[in-house]
Amino acid sequence: MSDTINQASRKGFLVDTARCIGCRSCQVACKQWNKLDADKTANQGTFENPRDLTAALYNRIKFVEKENAGAVTWQFFSERCMHCGDAGCMKVCPSPGALYRTKDGIVAYNKEKCISCKYCVSACPFGVPRYDGDEKVSKCNLCLSRVDGGMAPACAKACPTETLKFGNRKDLIAKATAAKKTLYGLDSLNGLGVVYALEGPPDSYGLPANPRIPTSIFLWKDIIKPLGILGFWGSIGAMLLHYVTIGPKKVDDDTGDKGENHE
Amino acid sequence: MSNFIERFKTSERVLHWVVTCSFFTLLLSGLGLFSRLFNGYFNLFGGGSSAILVHKIAGVVFFASSVYMFLNHKKDVTTFDEDDKAWIDARGGYLSREERHFNIGKYNPGQKLFAIFIYAATITLGVTGIMIWMPLTFPRWLVQISLMLHGLMFVGSIMFVIVHVYLATIGNPGTIEAMLYGDVRRIWARKHHPKWYKEVGEDNP
Repeated sequence: MSDTINQASRKGFLVDTARCIGCRSCQVACKQWNKLDADKTANQGTFENPRDLTAALYNRIKFVEKENAGAVTWQFFSERCMHCGDAGCMKVCPSPGALYRTKDGIVAYNKEKCISCKYCVSACPFGVPRYDGDEKVSKCNLCLSRVDGGMAPACAKACPTETLKFGNRKDLIAKATAAKKTLYGLDSLNGLGVVYALEGPPDSYGLPANPRIPTSIFLWKDIIKPLGILGFWGSIGAMLLHYVTIGPKKVDDDTGDKGENHE
Repeated sequence: MSNFIERFKTSERVLHWVVTCSFFTLLLSGLGLFSRLFNGYFNLFGGGSSAILVHKIAGVVFFASSVYMFLNHKKDVTTFDEDDKAWIDARGGYLSREERHFNIGKYNPGQKLFAIFIYAATITLGVTGIMIWMPLTFPRWLVQISLMLHGLMFVGSIMFVIVHVYLATIGNPGTIEAMLYGDVRRIWARKHHPKWYKEVGEDNP
């Protein structure tokens, strides 16, 4: 695979959902640093706002509302691109350099190289990439410019409760494991760049228990593509072989069984 | 009496080459989308975005012309008789050097099956192509399956087309003339399609 990742030096988030108070400072900081416009939203009877990621919203706090004996409880979930170690978006992207991996293991993108095919939208195990009016891919790039400059991403910098911890992925995991947290995203998809300490089963947050590249995307890229290339050359080879072994069906002009051919 | 008889009318020939041209345009513009290995083919169209645009336009042309071509010949290519069965049992005589004679009408069963396959592929590629064209309009699982099927049917089509081109050119000398000038030699017609020749050829000057 062309997509290689150095697990030892890989950077990432550890999101300790139990610490999140749903203040959404991370949402605001992200908008500010990445100069993203506000989306117009409508009140739909919940404090969760906005209700989904958009091309101008790279991260958000998802409110998991539960009713407990008449009282409402919330679990807050910081949602963004997971920066998968084996990224579905990179697997399908036909434009080299449009979606790429940085030396820190971040899945970054270059809008100028995006050719608007939207394959990444279908291939992402978490349904993250968004498209907007400019028809270019848009998602969290982990504040690439800040990380390159040795700073934490804007959301982690703004988080007042240390829910979002950014740093060397291995160290963050080691610390969280020592604190006996149940972690999500350790090994699946070659390790997620965003590892979660969850307060309940993954599906209560709307996360797949075992995230993986969608089956049909795997079949397309890992089975049909190589077999197809083989089939193409195989067909040409078979036809050439047929020509020199069995040979063409020639119309023999000299059989003479019908005299009218050469009048 | 002329040595030649007409096999395909001008309109049939033009339609066939419209299908051919759009097919190869689709092939060249789609290769880079199929895999990054073929990224260089985007340059033929001045980049990936324009290749996608060309792919969409050629796709519409191919879909319409290919479906129309099939419907034009639907009756001829979807009915199989006893003589066809004999051809299929002997694989059309293509797997042996031995001279075989089959009482074949206008199309042999191989040609019929090719026509049916290409029609099925056209429908599949067309429908999945629309899903891939507008992935935000359709459910994700449908677009994912479409991406896979689109690749699968492309691979199937290109393999069948290789066989088609071989059999229509060097594999059966004299055949391509039917698609170029429309006329084939009588001796060719008698050898490859005797039943058809009997119907239309013998008293056709």
